[in-house]
Amino acid sequence: MTEGLEGEARRAIRSVLENAPADGVEIVSVSSDTGLTRFANSQIIQNTVRQEVRVYVRVVVGDRWATATTNQLDESHLRAALDGAIAAAKVSPPDPEFPGLAVPDDVGRPRPLRRFDQAVAACDPEGRASRVREMLKAVGHHNCAGYIETLAGAMTIVSTTGVDCSDAYTRGAIQCLVDTGNGTGWGESYSHALDEIDGVKAARAAAAKAEASNDPGDADPGIYEVVLEASAVATMLEYLSWVGFGAKSMIEGESFFTERKGRRVAIPAVTVLDDATDSRSIGVGFDLEGVPKQTVAVIDGGWASQPVTDLRTARQLGTTSTGHSTGSVEFGPYAANVVMSGGDHSLEDLVAAVPDGILVTRFHYVNVLDRPETLLTGMTRDGTFRIRNGEVAEAVNNFRFVQSALGALSAVRGIGDDARAFSEAYGSFVAPSLHIGEFHFASRTSH
Amino acid sequence: MPDVDIREYLFTALEAASDSGATYVDVREVSTESQALATRGSAIEAVDHSESVGYGVRVVVGGAWGYAASARTGDDRTAVDVARRAVAVARASATALNQPVELVPEPGHVDEWSTPIERDPFDVSLEDKLQLLLALSEPLESSPDIRAGKATMDLIRSRTTFASTEGARIVQTILHSGAGMEATAIADGDAQSRSFPGSFRGHLAAGGFEVIEAMRLGDNVERVAAEAAALLTAPECPSGRFDLVLDGHQVMLQVHESVGHPTELDRVLGMEAAYAGTSWVSVPDLGNVRYGSEHVNITADGTIPGGLGTIRYDDEGVEVQRLDLIRDGILVGMQSSRETAAALGADRSNGTMRADGWENFPLIRMTNINLLPGEGSLEDLIADVDDGMYMATNKSWSIDDKRKNFQFGCEIAWQIKNGKLGRIYKNPRYTGITQDFWNSCDGVAGEREWYLWGTPNCGKGQPGQVMRVGHGTSPARFRGASVGIGE
Repeated sequence: MTEGLEGEARRAIRSVLENAPADGVEIVSVSSDTGLTRFANSQIIQNTVRQEVRVYVRVVVGDRWATATTNQLDESHLRAALDGAIAAAKVSPPDPEFPGLAVPDDVGRPRPLRRFDQAVAACDPEGRASRVREMLKAVGHHNCAGYIETLAGAMTIVSTTGVDCSDAYTRGAIQCLVDTGNGTGWGESYSHALDEIDGVKAARAAAAKAEASNDPGDADPGIYEVVLEASAVATMLEYLSWVGFGAKSMIEGESFFTERKGRRVAIPAVTVLDDATDSRSIGVGFDLEGVPKQTVAVIDGGWASQPVTDLRTARQLGTTSTGHSTGSVEFGPYAANVVMSGGDHSLEDLVAAVPDGILVTRFHYVNVLDRPETLLTGMTRDGTFRIRNGEVAEAVNNFRFVQSALGALSAVRGIGDDARAFSEAYGSFVAPSLHIGEFHFASRTSH
Repeated sequence: MPDVDIREYLFTALEAASDSGATYVDVREVSTESQALATRGSAIEAVDHSESVGYGVRVVVGGAWGYAASARTGDDRTAVDVARRAVAVARASATALNQPVELVPEPGHVDEWSTPIERDPFDVSLEDKLQLLLALSEPLESSPDIRAGKATMDLIRSRTTFASTEGARIVQTILHSGAGMEATAIADGDAQSRSFPGSFRGHLAAGGFEVIEAMRLGDNVERVAAEAAALLTAPECPSGRFDLVLDGHQVMLQVHESVGHPTELDRVLGMEAAYAGTSWVSVPDLGNVRYGSEHVNITADGTIPGGLGTIRYDDEGVEVQRLDLIRDGILVGMQSSRETAAALGADRSNGTMRADGWENFPLIRMTNINLLPGEGSLEDLIADVDDGMYMATNKSWSIDDKRKNFQFGCEIAWQIKNGKLGRIYKNPRYTGITQDFWNSCDGVAGEREWYLWGTPNCGKGQPGQVMRVGHGTSPARFRGASVGIGE
């Protein structure tokens, strides 16, 4: 279905692009066909299918520009969007920092990644429901909640400067919460391929966590040695990317890169890439300007190496775009295919190295307290345990953490061999479990 | 009975779903037009006009929900296909079902309603709007120590057509307008911001361009820039137990996170457990649990003029209402839908189901969750504090999955000493437990300082939906709060 929408969009876009009365026009078409089945209280509660296509038009008139968006593919709506954007550009102030539209001879021509799985694209409501039933069966009498999503998406960019690229991708996602009434547990699985997301395995993991979490006790807040499971690390990486990996925040002085570029920000074993070509990543191989996504070592062997850029920030820095445009000047470039290098320790090995600490399954409701310091706060949930003498011991009530993400990466003592992809929404974050020497829990809650 | 204009293809979808076995069907077409403008200094960061049109068909088949949505409007053949897809989805849902859906009754309203406005913001020229923003961002960015001066404007008009197999025929046009500015001062790796009227794109409300004109944005440029710059050299906010006075903007988010979300009945009943979480209160707590002190009176009011949650009907055709959530500190109400209202023993939903666009399934969303005004003024609240803090303008937020343990950060704090404001502090934060915190409230300022704020970025559901909701608040005082980040 997505392929069909894309074809229709492409024809309409080409029609509008020809003879457009502007100095430059770029048209981005993003289409998706999504099925999402939510369950809670051990039954399906919401179940949706939807088809969407959004067309983003950017026009250039001299050194002025403006944008318009529509989801209607007929030529009259597309022309109206184009004409509206041209009219808006003409009355906008000149933009001396505008870098121009991408020119393929300068920035390269993207090749599609085609990380597309026909089984995901073809998964129907019954296919998702059958997986939900298998998950409910796997957890027995426990209360279960979560979702399964199958998404097939495509992106096409054409411009008057010669950009002409398309790619298609799929994403399958499963999340599962099990609640025993006295404790909760969590499992999740993400991949571009349907046969790589294992709902039953996620459900069983969640049930085992929940049973182990029964009747948690209290542990005092304070600084602990911790093992963060991969889900928690992925959340930390996502926020780290948001607050600091983009060049705009560095230029504006709000990223850790501003003061610490070229300096050590993590232990030498920590390397964090943005790498759309990693086989575990989800998404397409070019950005919203049609520039091929380069693999960028943002943190390289513990050093703050290089932020990701788009055409505008690259020009400001006197370099070339790494292909990370979000299409928004306000937001700036963003690293959305983050991959943290894995280590050679099993999760059990990481726990075994901790004499007295805390095991965290995942984080909840994280927010930023200080962007340059990468200071984050949030809660633990769905499986927080005391580690005693290298073994997982009793469950404890959830903590609120207040912790610098880079501070945590500077205190890494072991890296797991379990790096895997997490992709709840835009992009993907590949993360391993981590053993961290010092992690600050500031307060606790009563469950 | 008003003449309500509904496109024929929507009735085709209703009939097709009914003919395919649905026992209940509603269709909802949404056409949204929005404009987003942003300037930084003398530069443009966004000049965007956006439109989105589509419809969704929601059905009950075999006691289970199904939903299908498409952007291809006006076409009968597509409407039949979408309706049948919704039925197929519901049949799949029915294979994992414990409790069949039952909807409490609601009259089939036939009505048309629009947000009252004085000046259509889409009729104001783009040049004028950009000039308004540049007149803010240019002087902000050229102020001493300011690295970034930004101004934004957001205008959103949505026309929703709703029809159901129970006879509802409703057309609503909702218009939200807003603007704001922010100055960020940066030095030595420290970034400090001040914004006005509020953080995160200023302030939005239901209404036309008069909403923006009433903000008197230009009058605040100098103060905003000066306060941001002053924060660079201000000391860190000390930690400890202090009496805490919050401005209305921060009370807004305190109400939002620790009262609004925990009283959503879908959360209470576990329907959002996996993602946003559940709630620390349960249905049997109604009338029995002390949520806060006697000063705490909170309503869910979709009828009050000017709020981002002000509508006439929700997205399942229920007429919106005003209900008490907390009366004299006691939990007395929860926000419900037609499916969940029966859990309250209610014979009618209180009308809080809203969806983010045509493509999403409606969820229980806050309308306007309001802390009712008390007595006196902000000055009175401060005058009765010997040793405390006054914090203003929300900057960060986080709360646990049962909405108990929270932490908030504000842009700025002033020391309160012997009833007077003193020096400013940077990075003020406070933490607490919902019930303890609201029980420590011993004063809410009166009506003169009560303001209906807008929260334009409330996230909920999977796939994620963003909703604009309102919160009427005035400054409030909390005794012995935990200031800082905890232990």
